Amino acid sequence: MNFGTAVVFLEQGIATGVVTGGVYALLAISIVSIFRATGVANFAVGEIFMAGAYIALYLLAIVKVSAWIAIPVTIVAVFVGSAAFQLGVLRTVHKSGGPINLVIATLGLSYLLKGIVRQTGFGETPRSFPSLVPAKPIMFGMAHLTLLDVAILAAAMLIMAGYFLVFGYTRLGRAMRAVGMNQRAAQLVGVNIGRMNTLIWGLSGALSAAAALLIAPKLLVTADMGTVGIMGFAAAIIGGFSSFPGAIIGGFVIGIAENLVGLFIASNAIAVTPFVMIISVLVLRPQGLFGGPQEIKKV
Amino acid sequence: MTLRHWLSFLAASFLAIAGATQVHAQTDPGVTPTTIKIGLFGPLSGPNMPYGFDGLKAAQMWYDKINKEGGINGRKIELAIEDDRCAPDSVVAAVKKLVEQDQVFMLHGGSCSAAVMPAKEYVVRNKIPWVTLNASADGAIYPPTGYIFSGTSLTMHAAGGSVIDFATSYLKAKKIGFINHDDSFGSWNREAADFVAQEKKVELIAQSIEPTITDVTAPLLKVLAGNPDVLVIMTYARPATLIVKKAYELGFDKPIILTQTGSANLEELVQNVGAKDAFKNFYNQDILADVMGGPKIKWVYDMYKQNYPDLAAQPDHPNAFMPYGMVSAMEVVNALKAAGPDLTREKVLAAMSTLKFDTGILGGPIEFRPNDPAGNRRTTYEKFDGVTHQMLPGAYENTWVYQAPK
Repeated sequence: MNFGTAVVFLEQGIATGVVTGGVYALLAISIVSIFRATGVANFAVGEIFMAGAYIALYLLAIVKVSAWIAIPVTIVAVFVGSAAFQLGVLRTVHKSGGPINLVIATLGLSYLLKGIVRQTGFGETPRSFPSLVPAKPIMFGMAHLTLLDVAILAAAMLIMAGYFLVFGYTRLGRAMRAVGMNQRAAQLVGVNIGRMNTLIWGLSGALSAAAALLIAPKLLVTADMGTVGIMGFAAAIIGGFSSFPGAIIGGFVIGIAENLVGLFIASNAIAVTPFVMIISVLVLRPQGLFGGPQEIKKV
Repeated sequence: MTLRHWLSFLAASFLAIAGATQVHAQTDPGVTPTTIKIGLFGPLSGPNMPYGFDGLKAAQMWYDKINKEGGINGRKIELAIEDDRCAPDSVVAAVKKLVEQDQVFMLHGGSCSAAVMPAKEYVVRNKIPWVTLNASADGAIYPPTGYIFSGTSLTMHAAGGSVIDFATSYLKAKKIGFINHDDSFGSWNREAADFVAQEKKVELIAQSIEPTITDVTAPLLKVLAGNPDVLVIMTYARPATLIVKKAYELGFDKPIILTQTGSANLEELVQNVGAKDAFKNFYNQDILADVMGGPKIKWVYDMYKQNYPDLAAQPDHPNAFMPYGMVSAMEVVNALKAAGPDLTREKVLAAMSTLKFDTGILGGPIEFRPNDPAGNRRTTYEKFDGVTHQMLPGAYENTWVYQAPK
C-alpha cells in the first residue's frame, strides 16, 4: 500500500467510523442508562432496536403514513413497550429472583422479539428502509460520505445532547441519576424507585428506536439486525459501563476501529475487532476508559 | 415318509432357501417388478420453504409425466415424500425414515446445502444413491463418495470458477475485484475462482467478509483501490445489496457481476438498493437457458401451471428455484433408465457417475464425471438494467476439479 492510499484509507476509516460510531454510542447510552439505574445488562437492546426498525417500516410501507408520523409513533411505541416490559416482567422477576434472573429475562425478550418478527413473515427477506435524506455524495478531504451520513451523525449528536440536558438539568433527570447513585437514599428523599426504573427502561427503549431509525436506511431491515447491539455493549464496556461520556467515546472508538482494521488489516477481521477490544479493556482496565475505580465492598 | 424322501425334501428346501437368498441379494429395497420407490424430500414448511417447495413440486410433476409415459423399463415411480424444513436434524430424520421405514430404492432431496451435510455419513454408510433436489452441497459431495450427487444447483466451486470465466471471456477483464464470505461457502468459491484466475492468467483482488457485516465501506474500498475492471459480488443477499449500494455511492461505474447466492429476486434488489442507476452496468449469474419464464424455458412454467393451477395462481409461485427440481428429477430418471431393467443401486451409481444429457432448461449440459459428482458446472448471465432482463449468449464453465490431497 502506498502512502497516498494509506492517507485515503485513514481519512475514510475515520469519517465512516464517526458516523456508525454515533449510532453505536446511542445504543451504548441506552445500555448504560439501564445498568446504572437497575444494575441489569439489557441483552435485548439489539432486538429492541430491531423492533423499532420494523415498527417504523410497517408504518411507512404497509400503513403508508408519512415519516413525520411514523417516527414519533415508533419512538412512543418502543418507549411504551420497553416500559411495559419493565413493569410487567422485570418487576415480577425481581421480586422472585436475583439480578441473574433479570438478565435472563432480557435475553428472553430478545428471542421473543426476534421470534415475533419472524412469525409475521415480515422478517424473511431483507427490506430497505426509506430515507428522509438523499444519499447524495459529499467529500470530506479525500473521504467519501453522503448527505445521509452527515444527517445520521447530526441527529445522533442532537439526541445525545437532548438526553444529557434531560439528565443534567431537569428534576426528572436528577431523580433518575439519584436512583443510579443510591436507590435507598433516593427513596428516602421521596423518589419513586419503581416509577423511575420504568421510565428509564422506556427512555432507553426510545433511544434504541431512535438509533434504529437513523441507521436503518444504511442497513437493511432484517430480523437479525439486532446484532448491532453487540457494538453498543462493546462501546459501553470500553467507555466504562457506568459512564455516559465513556459510552459515547466508546461508540466512536468502536466505529473508527472496525473501519481502520478493515482497511489496514483485513476485511474479515472487522467482525472480531469489538470483541478483541472488549477483551483487551477487560484485561488491562476492567473499569473501562472512563469508569470509576473498582468498588470494594466491606463484608 | 421314508428317510430317502426326508433327505430329498431337505435338499429341496435348502435349494429353495438358497435360491431365494440369491434373488434377494440381487434386488435392493424399493424395487419390485412394477415399481421403483424414490424418497423425495425438501422444505415443505417453515421459513426455508421457498428454497425447495416449488422445486419439489416440479420434480413430482416430472415423475408423474414419466409414469404417464409408461415408467422406466416397465416400472412406475412411487414416491415417499418427507418434509425436511431445511433443518439439519429434520433432514437426517427424513432420510432415516425414508430408508428404514419406507424402504426406498434411492433418495432425491435436500434444498439447503448446510442442512444436508449431517445426512452424508448415514447415506454413505448405507450405500444409498442420493441426488440432491437443489442443494449445491459442496460439503456433502467433496471429497467424492460415489453415493451423493449435486443435482442441479451450482456448487459454490462451480459458481466461483465460472464467474471468472465470464469476467475474462465476455467482459475481457484482466483485474477482477472479488468479494466473498469468510465462511466455508466463501472458501469453496474462492478456491475455484483462484484456480480459474490462475489458468486465465488474470489478477484476483479479493476480500472476504463476514456474512453479518453491516458496513461494507472498508472491504469495498480495498478492492476498488486495486482498480479492478469488474467487481464480482459473491455474497448472500443482504451484504450484496449493501455492496451494490455503496459501489454506486462511491461512483464505481465498471461492470458488477452478482453471483447466484446474491439475490433470487432482482426487482427486490433494485428496491433495496434504492437507485436504478446503480444497475447501469450490472450482470447477474444464472444457470437457466433463459430468463425466468423466457421463451426457451416457457414450457417448464406452462407445465407447472397445468399441473398446479391453484398454486400457480398464488403470488410468488413458481419461484426461481422451481425448474431446478425438474432437472434433478431428470437426472434420477435418466440414471434409472441407463441402469437397465435389472435394477440395482450399484448400477444406478455407475450410470450416474457418467451421466450426460441436455435438459432443455439449463444453459449447459448436465455432465457427471467419475471424479466430480457435480452435474452442473456452467453458468449463464443476464444483463439487468434495473427493469429489463437481457439474456446473454453462451454458457461459462468452471474448470476447477476436485484434487485429492496428496
